[in-house]
Amino acid sequence: MVDIWNVAILDPVLNGLIALSQMLWGNFGLAIIVLTVVVRLILMPLTFRQTKSTKAMQELQPKMQELQKKYARDQKKLQQEMMRLYKEAGINPLGCMWPMLIQMPIWIALYQSIMQALAATPENLLILSQHLYPWDLVDQAIPLNENFLGLRLSQPDPTMILAILVGLTMWVQQKMVTPPATDPRQQQMSSMTTMMMPLMFAFFTLSFPSGLALYWVVSNIIGIIIQYFVAGGWGYFNFPSFRQPRPQTQPQSATQKAAEQPSKALKEGDKKKG
Amino acid sequence: MRKVSNLIRVVILLGLLLLVFVSGCMPGMGGGCSGAQAQGWSSFAPYNELICFGSMEGSVIALNPKARSEGKAFPSETEWIYAIKTATPGSACGAMCAPSSAASGKGIYATPLVIDDLIFEGTYTGKVYALNASRGVVRWIYPREGFETVGAIVGNIITDGKALYFGSANGKIYALDAVTGDFIWEFQTSNKIWTAPVLDNGIIYAGNYGGNVYAIAAETGREVWSIKIPSAVASSLAVKDQLLYFGTFDRNLYAIDKADGTVKWKYLAGNWFWATPVIRGSTIYAACMDNKIYAIEAADGKEVWKFEGDGQMVSTPAVTDNHIFAVSEKGTLYKLDITNGTMISSVSVGYTVYGNPYAEGDMVYIYARDHKVYAVDTVKNHVDWDFSSEIK
Repeated sequence: MVDIWNVAILDPVLNGLIALSQMLWGNFGLAIIVLTVVVRLILMPLTFRQTKSTKAMQELQPKMQELQKKYARDQKKLQQEMMRLYKEAGINPLGCMWPMLIQMPIWIALYQSIMQALAATPENLLILSQHLYPWDLVDQAIPLNENFLGLRLSQPDPTMILAILVGLTMWVQQKMVTPPATDPRQQQMSSMTTMMMPLMFAFFTLSFPSGLALYWVVSNIIGIIIQYFVAGGWGYFNFPSFRQPRPQTQPQSATQKAAEQPSKALKEGDKKKG
Repeated sequence: MRKVSNLIRVVILLGLLLLVFVSGCMPGMGGGCSGAQAQGWSSFAPYNELICFGSMEGSVIALNPKARSEGKAFPSETEWIYAIKTATPGSACGAMCAPSSAASGKGIYATPLVIDDLIFEGTYTGKVYALNASRGVVRWIYPREGFETVGAIVGNIITDGKALYFGSANGKIYALDAVTGDFIWEFQTSNKIWTAPVLDNGIIYAGNYGGNVYAIAAETGREVWSIKIPSAVASSLAVKDQLLYFGTFDRNLYAIDKADGTVKWKYLAGNWFWATPVIRGSTIYAACMDNKIYAIEAADGKEVWKFEGDGQMVSTPAVTDNHIFAVSEKGTLYKLDITNGTMISSVSVGYTVYGNPYAEGDMVYIYARDHKVYAVDTVKNHVDWDFSSEIK
């Protein structure tokens, strides 16, 4: 199993990364950035499908809320109606998960490649020798230069800048796709999970080599760009200081506000697209 | 909708945890987030009836093979241990983190050097220790207390009897007074040095990971010449007559003229020549990570014979008048006929071995990754005794 993983996934990514580094003037940090962009481009059709699927789910949100109100006391019926709604709209509710699952092995391979390629200890260098292709580009690149923009890519970033960037970019990306909840309890839950993920990644960044954190930051930024152009605009992410406060003519219930917000965001997005 | 997005988050989290798990980053897994730990792979240096080595726990240990063979408690008779104090990893996030510097590992890579009654050891933490060889008491430490360390020392220390010379991961070659430990000179190269230099006729030759080979005057520390080759220098250097020999990461064994660095010949193999080439008479014996031991004509680089083992040949073989003792990474010790590379016998210690075997008479000593020293009787073809360096 380990051999299959190495031969089919890890070794091609690892050697590709090392060869790329040699092509980019021996700059491994640049190689990580370029490879991340390439990987995201290859996965673009999947990301596009995922984003479209998420967008379609968001469009169904008002109808969903109506159903939730209508069948609040009959969970079985609610499930049936929700499934019927998904079917009518041609959406597989788990459809947006597949791209995520497919990306997972690539993340792991990239992570392992960065770790192995940098060979922080003499032992790591010996292990690396077992994975290298006999290519001149690879031979000449070893051992890699781990310095990039003041970072040692094989070591955690002591300045915490990368941890903040990882957390921030992930938070923005999540905020763009997370609709506000209908009731305060759900809203609190949702805010907590939206905060937890970036915080956890930021925490892990303190432990992981900065090369991997660099990959996460670049990957998140690309994700934000894709989300911006495909879903149209910033979605559910608000810039409080940039927006004028909207005069409220009459008080609205939390449910009504939440039901209106997705369509507003989508309309704004459509305008920008237009 | 919310359920699905929460599900996605759970998947990401699980993936991350898997990532953490496979990387060995979890506390207590011992890997550290930066991969394999720096454990070291020192070989042995003889001093009277003792054999001395740097342990994976960061100690210098002197063993008496006779006492070990008799099963006496350690330390016995003339044996001793000196535990080197290592710096605590200074990372921002505690035990989970990788060391903040590559030099904060504990293990020792360099084989001790013995001159008269002093034993010298270079450490991965960037210090040189001079110990009394009969008692294991510190004579001096370089750099002095309060001064910054010199960068990880992986290659062996060499000497001309008066001064010590060694390369460091900070890319410098240092010269120290062997008696006092006083600084004499340093020479900055273009890249990291993880190998040992070699000394010949007052000139020090050293290679680095930038693909440079330098010739430096031992007396002054001034450059005599330097050359750039297409790949980084993987092995320590060896010298014989007019030529210097070393392996590179482009899978070649190079022979260059020691007068000016002109490449005389190179021999391409299937992987790196990581181990130091050993020269006996007119032949070079070179262990290669393509699982083979090569015997090559020193003058023109023509292959004489080759022997294939059961795993990568990482360590430098021990060469005696009639035999070659080579250990594969898988822990198999091979006794080969020096004339034609025929295998005479083999013994497996059952654990990974990166350190060089040391031969003394019929006995070969191996320090394996299970932290044990194995004494292999190559006539009776069995492990005579073993000793764990994990001393409680």
